[in-house]
Amino acid sequence: MMDHSDTMSVKDSHVRRVLVIATHAFTQLVRMKVFYFLAIFAVIAIGSNFFNLPQHEGPESAGTEVLRSIKSWSLGAMTLFSVVISIVATALLLPKDVEDRTLYTILAKPVPRIDYLAGKLLGVMMLVFVSLLLMDVLMTAVLHIRTSMVLDQRVAYATELGWPQEAIDSMAAEVNAMGSTWSLQGAVLAVFLRASIMASLALLVSTFSTSTLFTATVSFLIYFIGHFQADARDAYLHVGEVGQGLVAKLVTLLVTLVLPDFQLFNVIDAVIEGQVIPLVTMGKLVLVALYYALFFTIASWFVFSDKEF
Amino acid sequence: MGETTPAVEIRNLVKDFRTSFRKKLLRAVDDVSITIMPGEVYGLIGPNGSGKSTTMKALLGLVAPTSGQCAIFGKDSLKVDSRNDVGFLPENPYFYKHLSGNETLRFYGKLCGLGGSALQERVEELLEMVDLTGARDRRVGGYSKGMLQRIGLAQALIQKPRLVILDEPTAGVDPVGSRQIRDLILKLSEQGITVFLCSHLLEQVQEVCNQVGIIFQGRMVKEGRLEDLIAIEDQTEIVLQDADERLIEGIHGMVERDGRASVVRTGKPRTTLERLFLREISEEE
Repeated sequence: MMDHSDTMSVKDSHVRRVLVIATHAFTQLVRMKVFYFLAIFAVIAIGSNFFNLPQHEGPESAGTEVLRSIKSWSLGAMTLFSVVISIVATALLLPKDVEDRTLYTILAKPVPRIDYLAGKLLGVMMLVFVSLLLMDVLMTAVLHIRTSMVLDQRVAYATELGWPQEAIDSMAAEVNAMGSTWSLQGAVLAVFLRASIMASLALLVSTFSTSTLFTATVSFLIYFIGHFQADARDAYLHVGEVGQGLVAKLVTLLVTLVLPDFQLFNVIDAVIEGQVIPLVTMGKLVLVALYYALFFTIASWFVFSDKEF
Repeated sequence: MGETTPAVEIRNLVKDFRTSFRKKLLRAVDDVSITIMPGEVYGLIGPNGSGKSTTMKALLGLVAPTSGQCAIFGKDSLKVDSRNDVGFLPENPYFYKHLSGNETLRFYGKLCGLGGSALQERVEELLEMVDLTGARDRRVGGYSKGMLQRIGLAQALIQKPRLVILDEPTAGVDPVGSRQIRDLILKLSEQGITVFLCSHLLEQVQEVCNQVGIIFQGRMVKEGRLEDLIAIEDQTEIVLQDADERLIEGIHGMVERDGRASVVRTGKPRTTLERLFLREISEEE
């Protein structure tokens, strides 16, 4: 037998094991060739430069539509990829281990079930993070080049018309706001946070579902519900306003605690329009994501810890 | 840990499963008790669905007992630390297809907290032991059934456990592969590792185990030392080499004169089909 000093100290054993499982899940997904999507993304990011949109603008505002289009297409592709991967990959990993009985061999080692779950989730999140990072780099590069092109063109036009320097500066600031900004990076982070919530939600569903299809369907459904749950909630409360009681309030609170409200993530659309995300909003998003991710993971653990195989 | 602590102690294990619809209870294991002392090779035999796998899963904490207790070297099976000293090979295991044999062992080693050169040395040692050094960098997805069982056995042994639990270790493996696994089990036994295996291939259990339990419909129907269980106490076997007719007749005469004893049968002992198959294969090679 191994000496106990050979094995590990309890303190860092959890972290180490979670990382081992996470790295493994990451490798597994990479070897399933999910990164091929990055090639498609490259086509979208570069292609969005050439989408000919109807121009309603005069030469003085030329080019900003293209910048908007690059951001819109890129963030759209990022959202699609990150949500699909976080749901499908999470929904796939757990049932596959049960079906192939690899789970027996893992749980027969000194691996607490929470470490296993956390590792799988972290692996999926690592994959989404790395993919988003690569997409972000590509988008930022394309946007940066295009912004300076637009800027040069606009400055030249303004100078030709003899605009005062102040007006040129303010126009330049306006163009730059449409380009690659910190808020844009914040929007990518928001995409990641939303994907993380979805991954942990899919993890929870997959601990009690019996098939990948069921997990994926339910998770996507909750994703869509998450986009209009705030509206539905408001409408419901409004209707019941006359005789609104404690029950309605409690129900609302419960719904909010359990179902993520994705309308908070509408800041992504604001960034596409060139607006700035306040730091407070960003912090709020991080906290919300952290709450849901932890809530779903702990709930998964409760279901999974009593599960028999 | 003293030698007096049993490697496996299952006390009055009962496991009921709830069938999904009518909520009818199905008793898979019914009051089973097994004690395996360190160094023993214990074979649990019984037909399919008799509760062998469930007993093993309960011992590994994969299912929770309805009543009764299971412990490994004195540690409760429901606690994670009981699994520091045990290696498990499930029935028909499939490992991660995208990993090579080497990566598979490294993965399981890391799960047990091993790392660095100690881990790599252990991996090499095990690959050598299960004769997979040549296939170490091939993806497990391309392994044959016998190779999968052997890599499975290697992963079970990665952290040098004092107990290995093998669920049908030779199911679906050809005779050569099956012989290899049997030899490995004997080797483990020589090293003092306790082995708990279950099988319905009785001949193999007979070859490797020194303790046997027979389980049927969830209940232990017979248990004990193999030699005691299968010996026919009132008979004696003599196998002679190069004996001629005269000697045989002489022996028959002696038995007749004795009056009390009688000859049950004489004849040529037969080799088993397995031995014949293995001999022919090795001659071909």
